Amino acid sequence: MAGKFNPDLHLDITGFGGKDIDMCMNCGTCTTICPMSEDSGGGFPRRVIRLIQTGQQSKLEETLDPWLCYYCGDCTTNCPRQANPAETMMASRRYLTARYDFTGLAKLFYKSAVAEILAIILVGLFVTGLFVAFHGPMVLNKVELNTFAPVHAVELGDWIMAAVLSFFLLAGAARMTWWTLGRKKMFRISPLIFIQQIPVFFVHLFTQKRWKKCGSHHSGIRWMKHLLLVSGYLSMLTLVLILLRWFQTDKIYPFYYPQRLWGYYATIALLYPTVDFMISRWRRKEPIHLFSEASDWIFLVMLFLTALTGIMVNIFRVGGLPMATYLIYVIHLSIAVPMLVVEVPFSKWSHIMYRPLSIYLYGVKQAATRANRAADEPASEKVAA
Amino acid sequence: MDNKDENVVRDAAMPTTPRVGVYICRCGGNISDVVDTEHVAEICRLIPGVAVSKVHTFMCSDPGQQTISDDIKQEKLDRVVVASCSPFLHELTFRGAVVRSKMNPYLYEQVNIREQCSWAHKHDPRGATAKAIQLISAAVGKVSRATPLAKIRLPNHRRALVVGGGPAGMKVAADLAACGISVVLVEQSDRLGGKLHTLNRLFPTGQAAIQLAAKMESQVLADPKIEILLNSKVTKVSGFIGNFEVGIHGNFGPSGKTTEIHTTVGVIVMATGFKPYVPREGEFNYKKHPTVLTTVDFNSLLATQNTEGRTLHYEGRSIGSIAFIHCVGSRQVDGVHTPGPDGRLNTYCSRVCCTTVLNQALQVRQRFPETRVYDLHQDIRTYGRGHEEYYTDASRAGVVFFRYHGDEPPTVTNANGPTSPLRINVKDYLSWGEELELEVDMVVLAVGMTAGPCETLVDQLKLPRGEDDFLQEIHPKLRPVEISVNGVLLAGTSQAPMNIQETLAAAGAAAVKARAMFTTEEVELNPYVAQVDTHLCEGSGVCLTQCEYDGALAMVETQENGHSVRKAQVNPGLCVGCGACVAVCPTQAINVSGWRIDQYDAMVDGLVRDVEPAMV
Repeated sequence: MAGKFNPDLHLDITGFGGKDIDMCMNCGTCTTICPMSEDSGGGFPRRVIRLIQTGQQSKLEETLDPWLCYYCGDCTTNCPRQANPAETMMASRRYLTARYDFTGLAKLFYKSAVAEILAIILVGLFVTGLFVAFHGPMVLNKVELNTFAPVHAVELGDWIMAAVLSFFLLAGAARMTWWTLGRKKMFRISPLIFIQQIPVFFVHLFTQKRWKKCGSHHSGIRWMKHLLLVSGYLSMLTLVLILLRWFQTDKIYPFYYPQRLWGYYATIALLYPTVDFMISRWRRKEPIHLFSEASDWIFLVMLFLTALTGIMVNIFRVGGLPMATYLIYVIHLSIAVPMLVVEVPFSKWSHIMYRPLSIYLYGVKQAATRANRAADEPASEKVAA
Repeated sequence: MDNKDENVVRDAAMPTTPRVGVYICRCGGNISDVVDTEHVAEICRLIPGVAVSKVHTFMCSDPGQQTISDDIKQEKLDRVVVASCSPFLHELTFRGAVVRSKMNPYLYEQVNIREQCSWAHKHDPRGATAKAIQLISAAVGKVSRATPLAKIRLPNHRRALVVGGGPAGMKVAADLAACGISVVLVEQSDRLGGKLHTLNRLFPTGQAAIQLAAKMESQVLADPKIEILLNSKVTKVSGFIGNFEVGIHGNFGPSGKTTEIHTTVGVIVMATGFKPYVPREGEFNYKKHPTVLTTVDFNSLLATQNTEGRTLHYEGRSIGSIAFIHCVGSRQVDGVHTPGPDGRLNTYCSRVCCTTVLNQALQVRQRFPETRVYDLHQDIRTYGRGHEEYYTDASRAGVVFFRYHGDEPPTVTNANGPTSPLRINVKDYLSWGEELELEVDMVVLAVGMTAGPCETLVDQLKLPRGEDDFLQEIHPKLRPVEISVNGVLLAGTSQAPMNIQETLAAAGAAAVKARAMFTTEEVELNPYVAQVDTHLCEGSGVCLTQCEYDGALAMVETQENGHSVRKAQVNPGLCVGCGACVAVCPTQAINVSGWRIDQYDAMVDGLVRDVEPAMV
């Protein structure tokens, strides 16, 4: 099959933060040095770079390779031509995120920081506006958050938001699945394989254990910090989506009560890594943090502010400051909601879905290949006999 | 022939009482570890004619050579044999030692008992020893019949013929003239500069080719020692080093009429250049589609395209994309490529095309930023200083590279007529051998170099060509600008594909080599040429029929006892001493000096002589 050439593809990827793609002379040092490449079908990063160089857009969309890379940066360190393969892999992930998203918003946000910030401000103002218009009575002699913002109303808003965001994220996941499993060819794979591989998705969603195989640059520490962040993030999602009625109370429980402890844990688990990552990006001290796109900064700053305002709500509430509590609560939601709306389906946060899904899909592909081989073998043995 | 005649020849060459000194070298153990050199020396004393037989650890050392000199004086030796290493290594050394003792150098013989005995038979010391004795015995036989010889001396004309007025020819002419040698520079076209006029910007400096041509031309024109003949060709050439007779045909001179002039030169420099490969009609769609060009065509396109624009324009079309295909007419593969009209496949690498392509590609990207460039290569061979930068810069400028295997070259098709884009299918080995398809507006074929036109000189001087049809040097490293015809030198791409830098370096080397040939008033040639015994020659002329070298032998009329008779006569300048004439002469009247038939007979006798019954 002759692959068609799209000569503008490398420019497109450059727009997503790709660096020096033209400088690659295809020596393959990156692939040789990559500890993840061999057990991922081999070939990346060079294969991804080559697909970009030769403008094979559909093949690039069909590959899982960028998602199987965790950016240790060894390839970039060892590249004899400073072609920066690691950053090309990063840009490919952004590009694929944009391609999986059918609305085109992801592409807009990645390519224009102004658009992304504007979207966040608009959604934030919308949330603020909702509070201004519909907030409950403000009790000022004591803190009654559930009177100001009744928990069932907030919960309803949460669920509507979760449903909408899930829709966009799942649509992206569906496109990823459809392309990477070979479009119609995916129907040839036994449904049993899809079911058997499901645990893979959750194991990697909760542990990111594949990361530990990554290269030499403090991968273990980075994995632990990231794991901490994920646990904080998932804790927060659990507390606000499933356990909001238990979590948002006016009664002040003792310090050791699980409601408060879990909240504190989530706050620390969000604040420490985000601050650490921001410092690292600012100082550019690790290969992964050498190049920061606007989307990277927006993601970290919003997450940090969400956690910061969240803990302030708690402080004012426990401290018995009613007006301050209501005010910071509105600010907290005016930051958290736009962050989720913009980041989860249309930007960097979508990787919470695409990372584990890619490993799941890779597992499905491998299992399907094994099944095909097993199906072929007895037949050939029969012929031989 | 009866025995009487044979004996006459033998007796004429045989000294009355030969006194041969035999010197056996241990070569520091290289020989003596295997060959029993002391025993050899002892046995050699028994060979008739041997007066002295000695062993030395290093014959080539000063004490070793002194031994020979002393013995020549004290023992009154008149012949010397050294049994040591290959004569390639030390023949001149020992001849020098002999000459210093006032002996004729051609009464010396070297036997190679290292390569041919101790090294070849190191597991058979007895056999090696016996063989050494046999070889020395043969050499004693040969040298006993040797006659004193002298180098042939011929007049040396201090004038050089330079064939070709390209960069190589101009460089040789200028360098020789600067040494005071008069030069006749023959150029077939109407101007100097050669292929420089087809080039645009030269790598690795980016200098304009015509600028270089003009600079070199003005230097050549300004030198009164250089006679420039434009529109002219060498039509006749004969002779030998120091004495080449050349006929030049052309319309030079004030009359403008076609005339022929003759001149004598001492040295001929072949600066005849190359021909660019011309693709067959239909090869990569060449000549079938208007936008399939060669790098030569593309050079003139770049040179004439004065306006800078967003895209390159050609014949009214905007060229949005160009694909360069490397190795067209170079590195051809048997069974894949069609041989040329002469049945030849160009299997060699033309060396300059890679950098040429990158140079052109880079110019396109810099001058016409919206014209895309694709590069289809087998390898990128940017081997020279500053050449690799073209590759890096081309990458940086966005040239996209594809790599094909030599036995699966890309294909170029234009299914939809001459105005449609060209379609290239390439099995790209940078993409794991995937078939890729490109659509481009123009294809540029990187054509290689083929041997240049120099048939007249090749035929008349019998110049050897390599398998690739280029003129072949004697030794690629030790004698890189000399050819097996003495007095003829190679400069530049007449010899092999070279870039301008290498061409000029080769031309400079040829000029120095030519200059060195004019250091003496006469040329000295080895005396190993045919010699006619006029008493025996009956003028049959059979020798002439066998002689491969024009002018080396002739039949001349002479007076003998008042009768006019035909006799063979040798021109020592042209004879190479091959011996073809010797083999056919019915009266054995012709012999090669230093290698006469009676010497061969003596060598055979020496080889079979049973000098050592105890050993066998």
